[in-house]
Amino acid sequence: MSVSAGRMNGPGRRILRHVWPVAAIGCAVVGIASALPLFHIAANRLVVGTPVSAAAAFGVPGLSVCGSCLLGSAFLGFGRSRPSALAALAAFSTALVLFAAGLGTAASDLVAGQPPAARARLATGAWLGLMVLCGSVAVSIGRTHIRGVGWLTLISLLAVFSVLYRSGGFDGLSLAVEYRARAESVHAALWQHVVLSFAAVALATVSCVSLYAWRPGRGAIEIVINGLQVVPAVALLGGLVSLTSGLLSVIPSLRAAGLSALGPGPAILAVAVYLLLPFWRGLQGALRASDPSILAAARAMGLTRRQSLLRIRLPLGTPILIGALRVASVQSIGLATLGALVGAGGLGGIVFEGMAQFAPDLILLGAVPVIGLSLLVERGLSLLEGRARQRWHG
Amino acid sequence: MNLLHRLRPAVWPLVVGLALVVLSHPVSAETIAGLLGGSARRPLSSARLIELGSHHLALAGTGLALVGSLGVGLGILATRRSASGLRSGIDTTAAIMQAVPPVVVVALALPVLGFGAPPTLLALVAYGIMPTLRGTVGAIEAVSSEAQEAGIAIGLTPRQILTKIELPLAGAGILDALRVALVLSIATAAVGALAGASTLGTPIVAGLQNQNLVPMLQGAGATAALAFVGDALMLAIAGLLRR
Repeated sequence: MSVSAGRMNGPGRRILRHVWPVAAIGCAVVGIASALPLFHIAANRLVVGTPVSAAAAFGVPGLSVCGSCLLGSAFLGFGRSRPSALAALAAFSTALVLFAAGLGTAASDLVAGQPPAARARLATGAWLGLMVLCGSVAVSIGRTHIRGVGWLTLISLLAVFSVLYRSGGFDGLSLAVEYRARAESVHAALWQHVVLSFAAVALATVSCVSLYAWRPGRGAIEIVINGLQVVPAVALLGGLVSLTSGLLSVIPSLRAAGLSALGPGPAILAVAVYLLLPFWRGLQGALRASDPSILAAARAMGLTRRQSLLRIRLPLGTPILIGALRVASVQSIGLATLGALVGAGGLGGIVFEGMAQFAPDLILLGAVPVIGLSLLVERGLSLLEGRARQRWHG
Repeated sequence: MNLLHRLRPAVWPLVVGLALVVLSHPVSAETIAGLLGGSARRPLSSARLIELGSHHLALAGTGLALVGSLGVGLGILATRRSASGLRSGIDTTAAIMQAVPPVVVVALALPVLGFGAPPTLLALVAYGIMPTLRGTVGAIEAVSSEAQEAGIAIGLTPRQILTKIELPLAGAGILDALRVALVLSIATAAVGALAGASTLGTPIVAGLQNQNLVPMLQGAGATAALAFVGDALMLAIAGLLRR
């Protein structure tokens, strides 16, 4: 009974599979165009402002964005071949560029003739549209099944956007206005953030390897590392700072030795604590990755334990180690945001300043680089992980 | 004896949690601060700690309920045969959502949702849902295909295969995912203090801003205590349900 019902559903399901990308993207386009605001026009950088609909902001040229979206979704839905995936990629990338450029132009038009403090801030419709378009581009890239096309698309889109930015195409957007006012401090914070996260990863790597080398204590260390993972990050930072500053007031000479309760030190330590677990698991997995029969063969060939570790076990475990590094790096970049709570600087500082002022643009100015940085590191290292897997495991 | 054996994994988290509860009590926190020569500023009273703790628990509990029902539900849907193509999409989405830390979600939601609980709840759901979904999918996929085929062979309907074979066998894995989600929820609720939600993170954030060490220590101890006790509770449930 159920089998025959499944068979009857066959053609229907196939049609559904063709139609749903078109339907989903069509719904998104219609929803954004009709219901959600694309902009908020605010009198200054601290107020929310009044919403502006897509029709009012874009007018007739907006139809070209809708058109290329629907074209792309048709290619995605009805074609299974590589050329149709490439056509979908081209259509969605065009739509993305047109949409972004249109947002920039519309923002300039909206603030023209307004007092200088007025801001045209992207609203939910614009963000949702950008996300849907980026997602569609990513899906099309996946459909092409060509290696490197993703990075190529990313680089060319970034190039187009930077040309648009340089030529003043985005100057009306509130985010660009905010960025121009604070470019120096954003660059400094970005650099600090990278250093903080990298230092935490390095500290965690070194401590994890040396802890793992102490064979008798492994069981106990594993319990402690697992337990530390349960401590909420805010609590760990708070506890660390209160205990260190207490310690410093008892033994003031420690201050001369460079110990301090606030600043990058405690932040790096706290972040590194959470990275121990991914590294520990990675190390365990990597060393267990090689087949016992291979190790037996190595022993039979007369390799010492050190040689077998360096020449066989570590190379075969490389993909797992890179995977651990990927998980730890993404966590590190995220957790380093909290470092600003203890005065370590970084992009978290900009985010918290924005929260304190209730200034949406400033929050975005800190948040967008954090997200971009983690995505970049995640994608980059997972590419490397795939390469290593291919290299060592065929 | 058997019961004790089942509850064993929960013992250490419970002990650590209770020790942290003692640490966050006003008297002991003040004593520690005194030993360390800290300022004699007034600690938080037990009543205030309990009030903040119950807010924290309510927020984390609501978040966990949302994350649990959405994550496990979507995980079950994603493992149905008709949705087999969604698997890689789920993994990519999980990786992308993991790249947005809870603080950033709270901060981004602040201008839209205002101060207090709503942005925190959004961050709870945004950060907790993908690990839960992924854990559920992993647990169900780990159920051996022999068990599923045996179910088909004895004439079970797909629904019966789900409720009588897949879910019982995947139960331990799903509970483990929920345990991680609980710990994440408690941590994220503490971060919510930055957006003005009244939780155990509030004394920590306030203490960091005005260098008030005693409430900071108490808040940190109590937040960690909540996480450890919650962890112990989930481990105990998992131990009791294990077959």
